[in-house]
Amino acid sequence: MASFAGVLLAGVLLGGIYSLVAIGLNLIFGVIRVVNFAQGEFVMLGMYATVVAYTLLHLDPYLGMLLVFPLLFVFGMAVQRFILQPLQNEPMMQIFATFGMLMLLQNVVLAVTGGTAVSIRTPASGLTIAVGPLQVSVARVVALLAVTVVAVGLQWALHTTMTGKAVRAVAQDRRAARLMGIDVERTYMLTFGFGAGLAGVAGALLTPIFTLTPQIGGNFILPAFAVVVLGGLGSVWGAYIGGFLIGLTEALAGFYLDPALKQAVWFAIFILVLVVRPTGLFGVVGAEEVGLRVQE
Amino acid sequence: MSRSEAVSEVPAKAARVRCFTDELPLLAGVAAVLGGAVLLMAGDNFALNILATTFLMAGLATAWNVIGGFGGQFSLCHGVFFAEGAYLTANGVVHLGLSPWLSLAPAAVLGAVTALAISWPAFRLRGPFFAIATMTFSEVAYVLANYFDSVTGGAQGIRVPYHAGWLNMIFPGRIAYAWIMLGFLCCCLAASLLLLRSRLGYYLQAVRDNEAAAQASGIDVLRTKLLGFAISGGLTAIGGSVFMMYVRVVDPPTLLTLSDVGVRFALIALIGGVGTGYGPLLGALLVVPLEAWLRASVGAYVPGANLIVLGAVLVLAALFFRQGLAGALDRLLARRPGRRGAAAA
Repeated sequence: MASFAGVLLAGVLLGGIYSLVAIGLNLIFGVIRVVNFAQGEFVMLGMYATVVAYTLLHLDPYLGMLLVFPLLFVFGMAVQRFILQPLQNEPMMQIFATFGMLMLLQNVVLAVTGGTAVSIRTPASGLTIAVGPLQVSVARVVALLAVTVVAVGLQWALHTTMTGKAVRAVAQDRRAARLMGIDVERTYMLTFGFGAGLAGVAGALLTPIFTLTPQIGGNFILPAFAVVVLGGLGSVWGAYIGGFLIGLTEALAGFYLDPALKQAVWFAIFILVLVVRPTGLFGVVGAEEVGLRVQE
Repeated sequence: MSRSEAVSEVPAKAARVRCFTDELPLLAGVAAVLGGAVLLMAGDNFALNILATTFLMAGLATAWNVIGGFGGQFSLCHGVFFAEGAYLTANGVVHLGLSPWLSLAPAAVLGAVTALAISWPAFRLRGPFFAIATMTFSEVAYVLANYFDSVTGGAQGIRVPYHAGWLNMIFPGRIAYAWIMLGFLCCCLAASLLLLRSRLGYYLQAVRDNEAAAQASGIDVLRTKLLGFAISGGLTAIGGSVFMMYVRVVDPPTLLTLSDVGVRFALIALIGGVGTGYGPLLGALLVVPLEAWLRASVGAYVPGANLIVLGAVLVLAALFFRQGLAGALDRLLARRPGRRGAAAA
């Protein structure tokens, strides 16, 4: 029983990490309808920025976050403005462009760092707390709490603030939003910047947990995509809960089946959802088909 | 839809639809020129290796182009079919003692059947969602390839012992491989052109340009996409088989790394010209030698330099060079002036 509880706990904590990465991806995906293959690399950039801030300025990752978010926010705005905006009605080309960015960012970091793995020891990284008979990593609990705060905050911002409402309006109907006087391009830039910033925050929060390599983004991007499809396009709660579903599945499959097959199991669920409910668990019906529709 | 103008670009004087026989002279000419290049390089093993790889990648990009270009379905899982072909051939040789030549047809069948099986659920999705789903297939195939080590040799990989001979598809010289790859490329080009000028090919392009309109004109959209995907997957699996005999040892990363395999085919097709008959070949003629050169010159002291350049080329090609080399060539020959003036919204 204790082992079962342990597996559940591990799954929830892992799910928190997946949700953290998926929320930014889903924001970009749901609003701009761009499949950002480079999102994992944004997380990777966030992690390396955190390490740089830690070594040069002796900033704890949790404080470094405050530096990493604006950095990636500006970076994301620039990417949207200069790369994705010119390709707005070319979904295939957007995929190519984001994949090109993936290769570019990954290998630039590889060239700069020489490919050696980096890890930092922060006060949080080795710390565990006892929950009954189980030891729980504090850094993972912090990530779980952070993603909850981000999900609640994002949901609140999207529904109450003027900018948030503009973002939702643009997501629902770009043309109508433009007619209402919303600056669509500006809203897209803000959204992409915010999505990239969230990836940076995720990177900062994950730095105490993982050993950094330039390829680490690949570990997050695939679960994040599965979370997005599973949870539903553009749904904050979909990404939040979808992360836990994938995390729990992975932990349970890894424990009861075979660790080597855990990904294959969540993939089976992923396919099942695709066949039964392509919109995802919390998505709006029809959302999966709008991807290619030219809106203007 | 971005390509809808392509329909109106057929010149008014064309009273007859172009068919496959019209394409044969150019195809024969291209094959002769490439064959001439092989003869010219005979004896230079370095150049022959690059040529063989170029032809292989050109054939694979041509195969991808069938569904990715003509059909507009952005598949990222072609590495799966590629790996299947390689593993089927390797197992035939290692466990059954079969000649690799005998495994080419079964590989094509296996690739086509897998393509059908995995694209049937995936075709419930469109555009970017389809791309994500196929990417997941590829990643899971990677996991499975590592897991089922009795078939794939696991992480250590699978090796075909060296027994030179025509029957074994193993040769001491590199030139034979260049010829085999050229043969594969010509098969892919012929299949692709045959398809392009067939009813199915026109259906595929109609589905790509406007799915709703295609359906309204009585095209069975799902069937068209499935058939296109199966042909593409079958050709890719044959490519995997010949690749296996070319390198003789493969492991899961070689066959299933997304940026080295599945995406590479698409990338070459894009740089050459997506949806054109010879675009993928042009792309491979540029990308493969360029990458080999980069790896040899800069890659030694800057790790991943070739991929930095390739990534940058990909972004720039998407931004400024959307019709690829084939489009640029067309414009140069002024056959299709002002093909696509798609203005951003």
